[in-house]
Amino acid sequence: MYKNGLSYFSSALFVLAAHAAMLLNVFANGKYENINDVIILSGAVLGLDIIYFIVMLFYKQMTYTIDFILLLILNMSVIFQSCFGGVHLSVKHFAMCIGALVTCRFGYLLCRSHKWIQEQKKYVYIGIGILILCILTLTGSRSMWIQIGSFSLQPSEFIKPLLVLACATSVMEQQNKHKVLCFNIVYENVILLGIIVLICGLQWWCRDLGSLPTFVGIYVCGLFFRLCYPKAKLSKKAIAGCIAVLAIAALAALKFAPSYVQDRLFVDIWNDKSGNGYQQSQALIAIAEGGWFGKGPGNGDLHNVFAYETDIVFSTICEEWGLLYALMMIFAILLMLSVPLINPPRSYFHATMAAGICAAFTVQMALNIFGSCNLIPFTGVTIPFISQGGSSMVTCGFLVGMLSATQSPVFKKPKKKKSSAKQGRASA
Amino acid sequence: MKSIKRGQRMITLFILAFIAGMIVLVVKIQKESPFYMMHADTQILGNVYDRNGQVLFDGSGEGTYEKNYFIDVGNIIGDDKGQMTNTLVAANSEKLNNYSFSEGLVRGGKAAIYSTLDHYANRAVYDAYGGRKGCAIAYDYKTGEILVCVSLPSLDVTHGYDDIDSFETGTLISKNLYGTVPGSTQKVSTLIAALEIMGSDELFAKSYECTGEYINKSGDNIKCHNSYGHGMQNIQEAVENSCNPFFAQLVEDEDFPLDGIKNVYRKLGYAVNEDEKTKIEFDGLVSDKASTTLENSFDFDTQWGCIGQGDTLVSPLQLMMWQSAIANGTGKMTMPYLIDYCTDVEGKITDRAVTKHSKELFAASTAQTVRQILLTNGADNYSSSISGYTVAVKSGTAQVKHGEEENSLLAGFVDDPRNPIAFCIMIEDKNNGSITTEQIANVMLDALC
Repeated sequence: MYKNGLSYFSSALFVLAAHAAMLLNVFANGKYENINDVIILSGAVLGLDIIYFIVMLFYKQMTYTIDFILLLILNMSVIFQSCFGGVHLSVKHFAMCIGALVTCRFGYLLCRSHKWIQEQKKYVYIGIGILILCILTLTGSRSMWIQIGSFSLQPSEFIKPLLVLACATSVMEQQNKHKVLCFNIVYENVILLGIIVLICGLQWWCRDLGSLPTFVGIYVCGLFFRLCYPKAKLSKKAIAGCIAVLAIAALAALKFAPSYVQDRLFVDIWNDKSGNGYQQSQALIAIAEGGWFGKGPGNGDLHNVFAYETDIVFSTICEEWGLLYALMMIFAILLMLSVPLINPPRSYFHATMAAGICAAFTVQMALNIFGSCNLIPFTGVTIPFISQGGSSMVTCGFLVGMLSATQSPVFKKPKKKKSSAKQGRASA
Repeated sequence: MKSIKRGQRMITLFILAFIAGMIVLVVKIQKESPFYMMHADTQILGNVYDRNGQVLFDGSGEGTYEKNYFIDVGNIIGDDKGQMTNTLVAANSEKLNNYSFSEGLVRGGKAAIYSTLDHYANRAVYDAYGGRKGCAIAYDYKTGEILVCVSLPSLDVTHGYDDIDSFETGTLISKNLYGTVPGSTQKVSTLIAALEIMGSDELFAKSYECTGEYINKSGDNIKCHNSYGHGMQNIQEAVENSCNPFFAQLVEDEDFPLDGIKNVYRKLGYAVNEDEKTKIEFDGLVSDKASTTLENSFDFDTQWGCIGQGDTLVSPLQLMMWQSAIANGTGKMTMPYLIDYCTDVEGKITDRAVTKHSKELFAASTAQTVRQILLTNGADNYSSSISGYTVAVKSGTAQVKHGEEENSLLAGFVDDPRNPIAFCIMIEDKNNGSITTEQIANVMLDALC
């Protein structure tokens, strides 16, 4: 049986209390001109909490742990985003959080039965194909974005959950090897390799290399599971081969990266404070100014720097809320990703999916946080759920729904009745 | 089931790798946040004090001081305005910032630097120059504490930089840290090389004649400052007379091979010929290391270099440090420092200085012999001009600006365990005034001892 350390009521109360404490901090230390701004923010956050608790009662699940942690993170992010530079509800981000909760439900419902999704996998590949076509036809050669009126979409974001699904559904095909010349080939492996090469090529073409490591992370994770399926023992040769290929690819990418990329990758931020190192140097200064407990919600200055709510959002939170709060936020995301460690998935499909989602989230968080803090080259990607961005929010919501689905029981095909089986044998 | 566990292991691996990265990040931020804050728009700096508690730099800028109060230490203590980079404040502003990661910027914090300088002595030396240009540096050769570091022209940092265009050349740097032609103070290095290669007995057995000039084996003329000549001399007499022909003949001597000289010079810290030029670093400040050209024993430039002219460059700081290796009698330099200790924002003492020594530059026996030669020189020639102190010194006259000007130098030390002071003094364009290096030395020692 799944472990549920807390009851539904206790979990809901914990989430409410955490958000109430944050809102109290906004009220006491925040920068606002009108108290109504705090009241509206509080109403939105606590209202969403309560509505979600009620809605969730209608869903019968084995465990609600991931859902509660997701709600905790989403409303934390609403409070953070609403306080940058002064307290006022960030309606757009709030709406996107609701969108993430909705897509989370979709993700759960679509992926909870591995048998069903296995049968629908052709639609996964069709989806990937459509998105790639969208990128090729609707975005420019220097952007991954599609502009629709005042909205902009990043179709490459939507490829992430589909790639995770493709990797997970392909695992079962590993025994269907075909002899081509002197090689034993699994067709689906070739297709997946083609997809990842195509995605990398597109990213290169669009000059948006930030998400590349995330895609590669998902693919390598899936590849690892495919290589050692169904053997329990891992082939060291395969691992060494994968590492070697990755290392060569990374070195080649670094060597042949366009000059504008190399400028950003190897910039000395303190010597180029007003140029390529501007965002990172300001981000680090903001963290230092924030200290452990921050300057107070809305009291920071980093909101004057470009991408304060996306690429360098970790530093913006550190400045206003302090490093401790920012670490708690990261801890909450890691806690959500660790749920499959407490409640193990019941199928190899779900295990592969959980690992792929974990890879996507951790790689993306590492790129954002370590990049903005100058530990690794700065690439400019989002932190799941914390950074602003509609495409990212709904995609991450869907991914968490998939993660939640890994907590589902195994759906088995109904067994035929003994009598009819006997009849069949008799007739044969 | 094993397959599912493999999935869990992979999740664990990703999460642990990420947590490891976060730990590195938090440690890095903790450690480097004072550095980040030095690039912030707002800083709350503390003061720099001298060894007696006098203010040498007012971080708040709110104190009132008499006119030119800081001028004697202006270009070594510096300020935070960014016009001077090789100064104590510019190089250590992190330590002065009243900031801690847990408390942020603290107005009225206790961050401060307590330097080893003696403001009174610096002022006395500055005044002794009487507006002439030059520099003087002195330190305790037992501990390494820099006591005096004056460089003229200088500035009072409280006046700001509105009239920076009218500043004289060299105002914004401490000349003690930069290479200058050492003149005959260089002969101490050549003397050390000769003792290291030949030994004391053989060197003292050598004698050469000075007729006021010497035509070397390449046909070039090495002139002596005494046009009548010094006659036949041994090494002690040659040092005391600062005789150029003697040292030119010594360099040509087959018992004094050029490769040996190069080796000793390199051990002393010279960049010889095409060697990479390195730096001396202390408390964040950077000083040039010596450099010279030694290509052929019979060549004029090589002999001229060993005498301390031509393209030989040594900083007064390094000349002083060599004196410590002689004064200590060990051949090991005492490493200098300007910061005695710092206090953090809460007033806790941090970064307390520790006396350090260099590796052995030359043998202790060499140090003892050079020490005796310089002490004899001090007793014979400087006992009246530097009165009241037992000094070991070597003077020098450096030709600069293609021989149009001459700088006067004096490097030495006081042989007194109660006042173990090594020093180097330089006066630019010595013929354009009446003040001498000995007078500066006397004023400095009077102020310090």
